[in-house]
Amino acid sequence: MWRRASTWAAEAAAVFAKDWRCELRTRYALNTLALFAFTTMVVVSVSLGPLGTSADLGVSVLPVLLWLILLFAAAAGLPRAFVEEEETHTATALRLAATPSALYCGKLAYGVTLILALELLVAPVYAAMVTLSIHSPGLFVAALAAGGFGIAAGSTLVAAIISQAQGRSTLFSVLAFPVLLPPLLLVVELTRNAVAGHPAGVALSQLLLYDGAITIFGLMLFPLIWNP
Amino acid sequence: MSLNRLRFSGVRRRFGRLAVLDGAAGEVAGGEALLVTGRNGSGKSTLLRCLAGLVAPNAGTIELEEDGRRLGAAERRLRVGMVAPDLAFYEPLTVAENLAFFAKLRRVGPHRATELLARVGLPPDRLAGALSSGMRQRLRWVWALLHRPRLLLLDEPFQNLDAAGEAAVRSLLDDHLADGRGLAVVANPSSLEVPRVAARLDLGG
Amino acid sequence: MKTLLAWLLWLWVAVVLWAAFFYAPLAAGFIGQSSRILFFHVPLSWTAFVAFIGAAVWSGLYLVRRQPDDDRAAAVAVELGFVFCVLATVTGALWARIMWGAYWNWDPRQISIILVLIFYGAYLALRGAIEDDEKRARLAAAYALIGIVVTPFFFFIVPRITFSLHPDSVINSRGKIEMESRMVQVLLASFVGDAALFFWMHNLRRRILALRDRRAEGESAVESKSWS
Repeated sequence: MWRRASTWAAEAAAVFAKDWRCELRTRYALNTLALFAFTTMVVVSVSLGPLGTSADLGVSVLPVLLWLILLFAAAAGLPRAFVEEEETHTATALRLAATPSALYCGKLAYGVTLILALELLVAPVYAAMVTLSIHSPGLFVAALAAGGFGIAAGSTLVAAIISQAQGRSTLFSVLAFPVLLPPLLLVVELTRNAVAGHPAGVALSQLLLYDGAITIFGLMLFPLIWNP
Repeated sequence: MSLNRLRFSGVRRRFGRLAVLDGAAGEVAGGEALLVTGRNGSGKSTLLRCLAGLVAPNAGTIELEEDGRRLGAAERRLRVGMVAPDLAFYEPLTVAENLAFFAKLRRVGPHRATELLARVGLPPDRLAGALSSGMRQRLRWVWALLHRPRLLLLDEPFQNLDAAGEAAVRSLLDDHLADGRGLAVVANPSSLEVPRVAARLDLGG
Repeated sequence: MKTLLAWLLWLWVAVVLWAAFFYAPLAAGFIGQSSRILFFHVPLSWTAFVAFIGAAVWSGLYLVRRQPDDDRAAAVAVELGFVFCVLATVTGALWARIMWGAYWNWDPRQISIILVLIFYGAYLALRGAIEDDEKRARLAAAYALIGIVVTPFFFFIVPRITFSLHPDSVINSRGKIEMESRMVQVLLASFVGDAALFFWMHNLRRRILALRDRRAEGESAVESKSWS
């Protein structure tokens, strides 16, 4: 039993390592994410420039824009985890070799680390570009982590579904929007609280609830949909 | 009475309105090969995909027994070895890295891959994306045999191979069937001979 | 027997219609006759809710049993639920127009129902994007089950956030209405009628789809014979 568990983890780790190794060599996802994020950031910063950055604006508008940037970048880059496997026909080999739940876990870990890496790059640059003063940096980091996880988890599950259908990129947006809206709204609220220096309130626990629920559902549903 | 056998009957599969398979049946035991023949579009590849568990048939039963034990569908998927034209590998990774990845998934040690690579003559440090079609085919064979499967499903197994490649994989196939435990279902072998054919299934078309 | 039940249903509907206008009293606090919309709007949304729960249950059953009939049942439940949901939204908007002056107020309930519509619209889009029956069934079932995670967020959490975002929106007066017993009677009777209509239509459509699938199978068998 212990041996089976440790080899399941080894499988998931192998998938994670394989995805990152391929990604670091091709840099497709990283480039897409970075390009999307930086282009949007520049647009935001330039168009906000003339409006100035009053404290009011800092709390209400800037967090929303940050998360829109991250959301669109994620939607552009995260689905590749599954879509590319189908497009390059490596999915057949995976279907015949991998334990589905371990595969999903590895892909999820890959998506989460990808988005966390993106946030590491984007958040400081954004904060500097728009002169965002954050009163609770600890809560801000927690928001980035929990919100990023939620977006990655939702995106990975939806990507797993649409990768086997036609019209993948539009279908992803259509299916992902209602699934990603709850964590998005929650993390925006949380980020606003962090910027304003308010307490986290219920938003953090509700966001963590979403993260947990979508992860569990993903692990349960994926094996049922990956293979016939 | 072999402890390793594959039995399937009444296998039907349609795609939309087109019935690709209409009640295919067959049986093959350890040490034997089943040869599947038929014209283009007669469903040979679909049958092999059904046997692998990649496609669910609309009707029919498929039973695989290994060492006397019947395998469930999910187990069967993980236990078969398959060579097929649409099997692809990760192009940014080398041959060795690809096989190391699958060896980890299949919980197999690293030596098996090295041994098989040597037998077919593939350079381990070549990027999978840089392989010629013949070398790609050899890699498919290595991948299929990595985990010592009982059942080999071979769809166009000798395509793109030169004389040396063909000889190498044929010896692999011989070894697989020789010990009396391995079985194979072969489709589209082109004009090359397949050893130890115990039965034929003609899907017509 | 079936015709008798059908006639009974139509009679029931007629009685409910009459009762809504002539038997039930007007509710206090509403403009003119507008409180009568209550007897249509609320049961329609309850029925949509029942439909979507049914869809989730049938989807779960499909993933476990892999019977095509479960998939048909789930798909039809979503289609009909969508229709009932649209009707509920429209009747709600009519009521909002009378009570609050505008068809759309970003009222929390209105937001929730729109999000539900979007989610199930996405489900229908997913079904439309997959040709193969088996694949379509399994992927759609997974997406419907994701609804279990997401819809509670639509109903309980998104409204909390948006309500706090728009503190100046009109107070929702549709909280707890003290209802006379006659109103309760008509309300429940209307719900029973709607639910009966739903199950009847569901049954019919499911059987039509089953017949269509069976004919397709029969045709394909004939077609394959003609090839040889």
